[in-house]
This record gives sequence, C-alpha cells and structure tokens, in this order.
Amino acid sequence: MTQEAIVLPSRRPFDLAWLHQNGIVRALGNRRIQLALAILGPILFLTVFRPLLPIQGPLQTNLREMMQPPSFQHLFGTDKMGRDLVSRTLAGVQISVFVGFAVAALALVLGLVMGTLAGFFGGIIDRVMMTITDIFLAFPSLLLAIGLVSVLGTGMVPVVLAISLSDVPRFIRLQRSLVLSLRTRAYIDAARTVKASQLWLMTRHIIPNTVAPLLVAASIAAANAILVEAGLSFLGLGIMPPAPSLGNLIRDGQSYLEQAWWISTLPGAVILLIAISLHFLSDGIRQVLDPRSHK
Amino acid sequence: MNALSPLERKLASAAQTSLLDVRDLHTHFLTDTGTVKAVNGVSFQIGRGERVAIVGESGSGKSAMAMSLLRLLAYPGKVVSGQINLDGRDLNQMSERQLNQIRGGEVGTIFQDPMSSLDPVMKISNQMVPPIMRHLRISREKALAEAISWLDRVGIPDAARRIDGYPFEMSGGMRQRVMIAMALSCKPQLVIADEPTTALDVTIQAQIVELLRELTEETGTAMIFITHDLGLVARFAHKVGVMYAGKLVEFGPVKDIFAHPSHPYTQSLLDTIPPVDQPERRRLAQIPGFPPDMKVPVVGCAFKERCAAAHKQCFETAPKLSSRGPGHTAACWRPEGLGTARHLNAELVPSMVSNTEDPVVVEIFNLHKHFVGRSVLPWRVPPTVRAVNGISLSIRKGETLGVVGESGCGKSTVARLLLGLDPATSGDIYVEGMAQMVFQDPASSFNPKMKLSDIIGEPLVVTGWGTRAERGDRIRELLTQVGLDEGYMQRYPSQLSGGQRQRVAIARALALKPSVVVADEPTSALDVSVRAQIINLMVDLKHQLRVSFVFISHDLLTVSYISDRIAVMYLGEVVEYGLTDEVFRNPTHPYTQALIAAVPIPDPVAEEARTKKPLSGELPSPLNLPLGCAFASRCPKATDYCRAEKPALRALSPTRDTACHYAN
Amino acid sequence: MLTYSFKRLAQLFVTILGVVTLVFFTMRMIPGDPISAMAGDNLSGAALDQMREQMGLTEPLLLQYLKYLGSIAMLDFGNTVTTKLPIVQLILGALPVTVTIAVGTILLTVLISIPLGTLAAYMAHKGNRALDNIITGAAMVLDLMPSFWTSLVCLLVFSLVLGWFPASGMVSLDDPGQLLRRVTLPIVVLSMAQIATMARITRTSVLEVLNEDYVRTARSMGWSELRVLFRHALKNAALPIVTVVGLSFGNLLNGTVIVEFIFTLPGIGNLLVGGINSRDYQMVQTLILFYAMIFVVINFATDLIYRVFDPRVQF
Repeated sequence: MTQEAIVLPSRRPFDLAWLHQNGIVRALGNRRIQLALAILGPILFLTVFRPLLPIQGPLQTNLREMMQPPSFQHLFGTDKMGRDLVSRTLAGVQISVFVGFAVAALALVLGLVMGTLAGFFGGIIDRVMMTITDIFLAFPSLLLAIGLVSVLGTGMVPVVLAISLSDVPRFIRLQRSLVLSLRTRAYIDAARTVKASQLWLMTRHIIPNTVAPLLVAASIAAANAILVEAGLSFLGLGIMPPAPSLGNLIRDGQSYLEQAWWISTLPGAVILLIAISLHFLSDGIRQVLDPRSHK
Repeated sequence: MNALSPLERKLASAAQTSLLDVRDLHTHFLTDTGTVKAVNGVSFQIGRGERVAIVGESGSGKSAMAMSLLRLLAYPGKVVSGQINLDGRDLNQMSERQLNQIRGGEVGTIFQDPMSSLDPVMKISNQMVPPIMRHLRISREKALAEAISWLDRVGIPDAARRIDGYPFEMSGGMRQRVMIAMALSCKPQLVIADEPTTALDVTIQAQIVELLRELTEETGTAMIFITHDLGLVARFAHKVGVMYAGKLVEFGPVKDIFAHPSHPYTQSLLDTIPPVDQPERRRLAQIPGFPPDMKVPVVGCAFKERCAAAHKQCFETAPKLSSRGPGHTAACWRPEGLGTARHLNAELVPSMVSNTEDPVVVEIFNLHKHFVGRSVLPWRVPPTVRAVNGISLSIRKGETLGVVGESGCGKSTVARLLLGLDPATSGDIYVEGMAQMVFQDPASSFNPKMKLSDIIGEPLVVTGWGTRAERGDRIRELLTQVGLDEGYMQRYPSQLSGGQRQRVAIARALALKPSVVVADEPTSALDVSVRAQIINLMVDLKHQLRVSFVFISHDLLTVSYISDRIAVMYLGEVVEYGLTDEVFRNPTHPYTQALIAAVPIPDPVAEEARTKKPLSGELPSPLNLPLGCAFASRCPKATDYCRAEKPALRALSPTRDTACHYAN
Repeated sequence: MLTYSFKRLAQLFVTILGVVTLVFFTMRMIPGDPISAMAGDNLSGAALDQMREQMGLTEPLLLQYLKYLGSIAMLDFGNTVTTKLPIVQLILGALPVTVTIAVGTILLTVLISIPLGTLAAYMAHKGNRALDNIITGAAMVLDLMPSFWTSLVCLLVFSLVLGWFPASGMVSLDDPGQLLRRVTLPIVVLSMAQIATMARITRTSVLEVLNEDYVRTARSMGWSELRVLFRHALKNAALPIVTVVGLSFGNLLNGTVIVEFIFTLPGIGNLLVGGINSRDYQMVQTLILFYAMIFVVINFATDLIYRVFDPRVQF
C-alpha cells in the first residue's frame, strides 16, 4: 500500500477493504476454489482455443481412421465416422458450458426478481407465486424437461428453457426464504425508522446480502443443468446430432460399447470433472461466506 | 523438588480433606488457525458441600474449565494436562468407561440453556429414569418413583403426569428445574452448573438459585457455579474464583473477596457494576483494551495492558497465586492491586433533576397493540395476544425513561410502536421531532456489506441531509462523539468488537439529531467491562446533547443507574411509574417489590440480610388475560377483589403512579 | 392432526389440479395440434380431420379442458394413438418393473447410506477429518456421475467384460431369478447417486445433532458415545432424513427413466421414451402426469410421517 492510499482512503480506486470484505481475496485463498479453478481453467481454456489446436474439426469425418482407440494423435480415440473425440468433446463442453451458464443465469435473475418480490411484499403476490412454484416443483426435474422438450422441440433454446423451468422455482423459493430471514434484521428496522423507501431497503440492504448464497446455488444449478442436458441429448431429446453435445457423444458410443469403449466413457468422464469442479466452486464459496469458517 | 512453601503445605493439607482437588489444569482448543490455550494452569479445591463460584467474562475459559472436569468438551477441545482429583481418584487418568460411572453418578451437570439441553423428541421419563437405574442400581419402578419425587422436589406441579410429557410442553424455567432434578437424581457429591440461570428472567432466576441452594444444602452436595454475574456470586457462593485469560487470578471466601478484592481485575469488575441505592452517581469504572489473544503465548501478567497499576515486573514474569489472607489468594505482584489508582476515574455524574419546565417530547396515550393469530377453523374466534394493553407515558426533553419487566411483558413492542415500525392497534403516540433506535443484538444491527461511513450516513442520505461533504463532516463528528476515531469510517461491521458496534449504533441513532433515542437492551449482549463503557457513554451523551433516552432492559441495576424515571411493565401494562430513586427505595407495587428483591446485588453481606422468598409462579399466557389484576396469579397479597376488579394506574403521590388496589 | 391433514390435503388438491392444468395446456401449445404433429406427413387431410373429431379436438378449448378433468377424475386416460390400447393398462403392465427398481434402490440406499453417513458424522465430530473427507468426497463424486454414463460403464464392465449380469433379455415377474439378474445393475447404478445424497444428508443431520446441547446432557449423565449416537442423535436426525428421502424420490424417478432406457427394461420410463419417439402425445401427457402424481403423493406422505413422529408438532 502506498503512502497516498493511507492518507486518502476514500479515493482509493482499487478498494482492498472492499475486496476483503466481499471475500474475493479469501476466495482465491480457499482450497476448494483453487481446486475448482485448477480443473475448470484448463478445460475452458482448451475449449475456447479449440479452433487453434492442431486437431481436426469436431464435424470432420475421416473414414480411414474409424473407431481408433486412444492414441497420441487422437487422445480420446475416434468414433464410427473417424471423427476426433477430443475435438468433439471440447465442442461438446462448449455446448454444456453454454447451457449451464444460461440456465444458471436465467434461474439467478428470475429467482432474484420474483423471489424478492414474493418475500418482501408477501400477501397475495407471495401466495400466487408459491402455488405456481409448487406446481412446477411437483414434477421430477428431468421429467419436466422431457415433457417440455417433447412439446417445444429439440435444440439449444428449448433445452435451456426446459431445464430452467425446474430451476427457476427453486431459486424463487431460495431467494424468498433469504429475503424473509433478512427482512426482520435490525438494520432494516433502523433504515425504516428514517423512512427509507421500499426500493432503498431492497436494493441496499436485502439484495446485496442474498447474492452470495444465490451464487452458491447457481454454481450447483449450472452443474445440474450440464448433467440434465447431457441426459436429454442422450435420450435423443436434447441437442440434435450431428452437433457434438456430450450426451450425443455418449449416445453414439452406446451401440459400440464392446468394440469401442472410449467413445462413451471418456466424454462422460469430462462431464463428471466439470460437475465436480462446479461443486467444489460452490462449496468453496459457501466456506468463504460461512462466518464460522473464519474468524 | 524444593521444600514446600507454607502456602503449598497448606494447600496440600487441604487436599486431604477436599472433595475436588484440581491441579494445574490445561485445556487447549486445537483449531485450524492455532492452538487456543483456553485453560492455562488452573488449580483449586472444593470441600464437601461447598458452593464455589467461578466468575469471568466471555472467553476467560471458565466454561471450558468446567467442561474439562468431566471431559465433556466438544472437539477440538482437549484436556492437555493436570490432575482432577475427586475423592482421591484422578478423573483425568480415567478411561471413558470409568469416567461414565462418575458422570451423572458422582458428578451431576446443569447447563446454561434449558431450551436446548433436553432431548426434544424424548419423554422426560426416558431421559431421567435410565440414568437413575444405572447409577443407583435400582429397578425401573423404583427409579421412576425416584424421578417423580425429584420432579416434585424441584417444584414441577403434577410431576407424576408431567414426567410422561416432552420438554417442549414446558417453559424455560420448568425445563431448568427438570435439568436440576436430573443432575441431582443420582445423588452426586458434586454438581457443576454452567451459567444455569443466564437464559432465564430475573424472577425465575431467583427461584432457580434458591432451589439450587436449598437442594444442595439438604443433600450436602458441593457445587461449582460458573457465572458472569457478580450479584449471583454474592447471593449464592461460599467461595469465589475469578478467571481471566485462562487462569484463576483470585480465589477466596466470598465475603472476603467482595470486601477486599486484591487483584486489579477483580477490583475493576466490581467497580463496573452500577451500585444500588446511592444518593449520588459516580462514573462506572471502565477496563480499557481487550483480553489477550489466547493463541499467542502471554509474557508476564495477562492483565498488564489493561491495568492502571502495571509496572516493569508485570511485563516480565507472570505472577503466581499468593496468599492475601486465610484461604484468599491472588495472582498479582502488588499486594494492594490497583490500590489508590482504583477510584481514580470515579468522578461524580452531575445529577439531572427532572425539570417540569422542559417540554414533553414523547406522549403516549392509552396505547394498545394486539396481535391477532389465525384461527385454524374460520368460524372460531382467533387467538389474540394483547402485547401492549393500554399504556400512557410521557417523556420530557433530556429525560431518560427506564422500562423494565420480564420477557414477554411488551416492553420491546412499545419500543417498536414508538418508532413507527409497527402500527398500533389503538391509542395515540406523539413524538416531537424524531425517534431513533439502538438495538440489542450488535450482530444483526448492521448490514455486513456496508462500511461504517455508509451505515452512519444512511439516515442522512435517505433524508437528503446536506451535501456529500457536509455528510462526511457530520459522520466524523458523530464518530468523535461516541469515542471512535475517523479511521473507523472505512471499516466493516465484522471488524468491530461488541462494544464498538454499540458505539456505532449510537452514532447512527444520533445522526439526525433525534429528540428521543430508544435503546432496547443495548448492553445485554456485552460483557460487564464493556457494558460500563457503553453506559458511561450514554450518560455523557445525555448531558452533552440533552437528548431523551428510553432505556429498555431487564437489568434493573443498569436501569436504575441510568434512568431518571422508571416504568415497570407486567403483561402489557405499566404497573408502577415514578422517579427511579424513589421507586427503588420504596417500591409500592407488589411486582416491583418482587423484581427488586429478585435482583442479586454484588454484596454478600447485604445479600445475607435480604429476604429470600422469591416470587412464585411464572408469567401467565398473554393469550387469555385474567379479568382482574394481571398480577393476581402470582401476587402474595392478592384477594378476591384483585381477581375480579382490574386496578387502574393511579397517582399515589405527585411523582408516583401505581396500579394496585392496596398500594399506599 | 386432522385439521393439519385437511389443510395439507387441500393444498395437495390445488397442486394436483395445477399439475393437470399445466400438462393439458402445455400439450395444447404444440404448434398446429397434437394430431398433425403425431401424424407427420403420412396422413391425408380427411383422415386427420377424422382423428381430430374422434379425440374431441374440434371442440372449444375450455370444453376440452373440462372434459379432460372429468375423464381424469374417472381415471380414464384414453387410448394410445398408435396401438389403440388403454394407456392405464399399459402403465399397470409396466409399473411392476419400475416399482421393483425403485423399491430396491431405496432399500439398498437406506441400508448403506445411513450407517455410512452416521459414521462420517461421528468421525467429523471427533475431529477425525480423514475418514470423513473420504466418505464425503466419495459421496460427492458418486452423486455427480451422470447416471446414463455410470450405466454404460457398469454395463461395459459387469455385463460385457465380466459377464456377471445379462445386458438384455426377457423380464418377467414370474421368473424372480431372471428379474433379479436383470434389475441388479440398474438398482446399483441408481443407488450410487441416491446413496451419495442420503449419506451426505445423514452426515449433516447427525453432525448437527451431535453438536446439540442435549447430546452433551446425555453424555453428562454418563451414557457412552455409542448409546448417545443411537438413542439421541439418530433419533433426532431421522426426521430431516425422512423429508430428504421424499424429496430425493424425484431424482430416483428421473433415474429410472434413464436406466430403463439403457438396460431395456419394460418399465414406465421406457414407455415414456417410446411415446416420445413415436410422438404419442396422449401417452407422454399421461405418463408425465403420472410421474408428477407419484412424486407429489410421496412428498405428501413423508410430510405426514414427519409430523406423526415428531412430538413437537402440535395439531
């Protein structure tokens, strides 16, 4: 810290205290978050820079090299049409990450807005919202998604919508319960004694304190969405072939399990790694935020 | 080994006859961030049938010490070394299996929170009977009879039926009685009570303490009583040990210690308590600084940084317990402790005679607040709680009104109504200017995501007060007023201690220059030494700013110290209202009399002289209030007239109102 | 208790009505209508019209909805479009397989996860982090393995390589031996994820209870740690565990669809996938409804069980 920073603390452009308070410094020091980033980082890096890698494109077939086992040239082997499985897996990760991110973002935003309204205002809004979420939560999540995809059709947008429809109600519930517990805090009362507006209470006192637990839930929702998308694609209800969704890859390999074990198993292992690292991430965030874990 | 000093020889001979002899006990908590040496070499003896109190503030290691005796510490706590001789057998050497014969059998334990100390899904009988069968080796029938007779002895009405109930069917006071029955049921020689009354109301506390005293005297059971309340010590104990930073700093007979405390910490602790019934008020003693970090090894005396009398030797070598009189030891290099430095800061507080010329800033007239529940069946009348049931009060400028009463009496509801946080059912509230609040729980008082400058400045921003620069100046001015420096502006609430938080809470409440500040139990979450700082601050602000305070508390000593007038509440009504000194010296309502009698005062000689008959019964349910006087069910003087006719609050004298038919 | 059950029952009714309504209108959202979507381009306009007439699709939407509610109340779910068989009959025929898998999974899960979770909690409570970390870590990995992938790996290892279990073949309730061989792998696969969830919940609940004051009270009365664990900790932790069993039943239902598909078991999950592939919307609609009903009713039941066994809940 420079001398000037000490003299003029309020003008510091890069506010260390803020970073500390909001757990960013602590987060980067957390074991689980480090572990999550150590797994996710390289996978995402390779996914982003896949076009630059010296491997054939995900859709490029090569009939001379059909069903090759893993080798130095094809680390994950090739499939029945001689397509390189590393390339296809990375392209699949791209789809997975997009679906995971889109679902988590949708659930986060809708959950935040609707949950805050339900929890803060209560009454009839709350009752209607809770009844509707009850109805959506009555469906097992994969079955709700299957039902919707069978109506909306296959493809990226229907899949994201179908998966979100069981996550959004969960997030509404979560946000609502967070708001309910925050609403009785003494600092809300203190703001109310000076006649602070509802908008002020929501934006200054309630929402900032719910973002962190929502992020914990969002990283789990992302992992879950990736798994559900793969499941839908596997059943033939998600992203349509030849697009290389990870679920499609595994489905492709199902018929050749005995002859070419690598087609199904290796992309599946990548899904598992992503899901695990997202869970580590959420666990890490939780640990950083838990007041009992640090003092 | 060196030759024994006279003191050590005396201790050794005492050990021959004592029931419990603890020697050089060390308990550590092995946390991720370091080893906390919670108990750091504690030695003491307890004779048969003796009641020993261990006092100390939070973090002093008193509970860890008590739990170490029976190895009841949860991970990561561990007894590292020391001897715990009970009747000549070292408990610390025993296996778990051997120790399980002692636990519950020879040594009973009573814990702090009666609400959580009994298994919620198990019948009382299933929690009480099997230990009796096991330790006393008797049949189920006999054990059941024994359990019922114990419940009867601790004052559980209809014990034979209640024993088949679950804990949730009982109030906190009743559950603590069950805990006491359990702890005593296997005829132990020693009972360890870890803050057994801290979670209870003052009248219930008096009942429980009285019960513990009677029963241990009847059965000849010795007792270790962990507490932070020096008043309870004076009322209850034969001997007292004062703990600080994991060590006993003073130990001796209770009268001796209260009359001649010789360790600076004991002396300061006693001076932080507001005295009772004194014509003039002096500033309370404050203990500056914080207790040492127990993860870091302490060089010299642990109290040196906070001690006005510390000198060179204190920084170099830790003092050992040395004799100060028969059975009285203290760990201080100076024989007199603080000596003349003790009353250095005890300057007089200028008295504020309430002036009838001053304008009234708050006027409450016939205030009601009813909480209507939702009835299960639509055609039934919904249950209604009358939390505030017709209250009229007025507060003048610069006056402090104390509101006392047990939990559930409606005092916090009055505060919320006054601040406009909840709408009143009926009645009028008039506030000249603005009312602001200081809350009880320092942990939830502030948005953890906001800096202190934003927290204190929030009322200014919300009301559009001044420019940005003016607000900055005002925040700095407020911080100075509450004794914090500018550097705190950039801090977050999590970086503050409990006392600092309450200072910030006061600064925020004062930001808009309110005419009245409502403080709801502002000191009850604080340790005694910090409590004194906050009380002194509030007294200063009251004089400097001429702001009115409403001070709500169950702590009668503090209320009597700080308030000009006092309102005693019972079940949503004010039963007595008048000048504080007058009310305390001459309470006219039977409930006020009982409350004052229940408050333990830190003076064993005075305690001995007081009547020990605690108020019987508990607060009735506010769901269906009786027709007549609400207090009639517990009042020793109640007549049929009281039960039929509700007494109104009437003026006994120009300065006193009482709601009792028989007061005069 | 009665008033509570009544209130809860009313709530259940509203939820079920909502579910039925949602399913009905969602199916009517299909671009065009179910019939043309089902038929594709294979049928002539006249034939389509005839089918629409038959299924009442030409009537006003509200009337269709009311009729639909009426038929559901009579437990009449109509016939499949392709084979014209009553759907209820198909479901009843397929149900035993699914129930076998589900019940088997629950039994296996409870038998393994509760002791495991309790052990992990006990170890964590005593500060023995190593074993606790292994159990919780393994639970997390198991939980996150996509069940279709685990199924394939198990199929590969146990059926194709080791040859312990048949990968396909007849399934009949009359031949328990054959049935057992066919459902073992699916049950194991489904249990993996369930065990993970349940063990984690058990660990959390038991650990929480072990830190409660009343556990210390029991210890202070001289009871051994094992007795305290079983008499106090498990008993108190059982209530939250029961609730989670109910909630994780949804995941179990999700899983049965996948394993029935992979292991070619003729349960209702396979009916569903078949229905989707043959665009039999009547079938899909009914099955989704059916799954939701099972889930809702199971949760209703666990909620009541929770309340019956918790003495603190007053009615």
